[in-house]
Amino acid sequence: MFYLSLIEHTFRVPPSLLSLPIDEAVKGELERLFLDKVIANLGLCVSIYDIKSIEGGFIFPSDGAATYTVVFRLIMFRPSVGEIIVAKLKESNAMGLRLSLGFFEDIYIPVHLLPNPSRFKPDPNRRDKGTWEWEYDGEPYIIDGTDEIKFRVHNVSYPPIPIEQPREAKPFAPMVITASINDDGLGCVSWWVGAEQTN
Amino acid sequence: MHVKISQRFSSLEANAGALTNFEVLEFLRSKGAESDSTRVLAKVAPSEYKVYDYLAQTPACKQTRENISEFLERCKKYDLAKAEMLNIINVRPSSAVEIYPIIEECENRFGDAIEELVELVENVLPPPPPTQPETIAEGKEETAITKQSNEGMDVVNE
Repeated sequence: MFYLSLIEHTFRVPPSLLSLPIDEAVKGELERLFLDKVIANLGLCVSIYDIKSIEGGFIFPSDGAATYTVVFRLIMFRPSVGEIIVAKLKESNAMGLRLSLGFFEDIYIPVHLLPNPSRFKPDPNRRDKGTWEWEYDGEPYIIDGTDEIKFRVHNVSYPPIPIEQPREAKPFAPMVITASINDDGLGCVSWWVGAEQTN
Repeated sequence: MHVKISQRFSSLEANAGALTNFEVLEFLRSKGAESDSTRVLAKVAPSEYKVYDYLAQTPACKQTRENISEFLERCKKYDLAKAEMLNIINVRPSSAVEIYPIIEECENRFGDAIEELVELVENVLPPPPPTQPETIAEGKEETAITKQSNEGMDVVNE
C-alpha cells in the first residue's frame, strides 16, 4: 500500500527562504511541490520521508535565486493489484460504487465487479442515487454507508491530463483505482463476521 | 481533489522499499500528528492528517515493531509472498474467510493449514480497535505457543 520512492530533483529555492537553514528551506519547498500530489506510476505522495543529499546552490545568470539538486525519499500511496484495502462508501449509483479512504477518494467499483447477483434499488427521492444489494441464499445483503467495505484492487490507472474538459465533467482524477468486491471475504465487513468459510 | 505533477525530475528508484501501515503511522506520529490536538502547531500538513486519521482507525494503531517482527519471523515457514505478509499485517484478518482473499490460490496452497495461520495472526498481532465487532469464542488457543520476541529486527523493508 505504501512505498518509499527515491527521487532526484533540481529546483529553485526562492530568496524569501534565505533566512531558514538550508535543509529546512529545501524541505519546505519539497513539501510545497510534492505533498498530496499524484506522480504518474509512482502514486500519491503522502510525506517527505528524508533528504539524502543537497548539492549545488548555483545562481544562474539573470536569476535571483539559488538552484539546488536534491536527492530525497517520498512516502507514496501506491496500491498494488490484488491488494486488499478497507474503505468507506462514498457514493452509490446505477454505475456502481465509489469508495473513499479519507485521503484518497477515487476508488470505483463498476457493476461487473460487484458480487453476483447484485440488484440496484433506486432512491425514490433522488433518481441518480440508490443502494446496491447482494442476494445470497435468498437474503439481501445491503451495501449502505454504515459499514466499512473491504475491496481488492483490480486495476490502478493514471489517466493523462485532458487538454480540454467538457463543462459538466467531474473533476479530473490523476489516479483511479478500479476495485472488486466479488469474492469470499470481500464487501461489507459485517457480512463475514461469524461466517464459516463456504467452500 | 488531487493534482498531478508533470515529471520534470528523475526518479532514481521507484520502489525503494515497501512500508507497512504501521510504519507510516509511526512516521506521522514522530512528526507530532498524535501529540498536537489543535492540529496547528505541529509541522504536519492537512493532507498528512487525513492519512493519519485513516491509519489511526486501522489495526496498525495498536501494533508495535516487536509484534510485526515476531509475526514475520513466525510466518516464514508458510512460504508467503512479501506482498501477502504485508497485506496480512495491514488488514489483520481474524478468520479464515477474511484471510482467504489476501492469499493467492489459498485453497491449493494451504488447505486446512489456513486455520493455523489465522491463529498465528490472532496471537501475535494485537486486535484492532473496537469499531469492528469482535469475533467470539476464539480465546482458548494459546496452548503450546511460547512467546518469543525478536527485538531489534527491521520490519518489512527491502
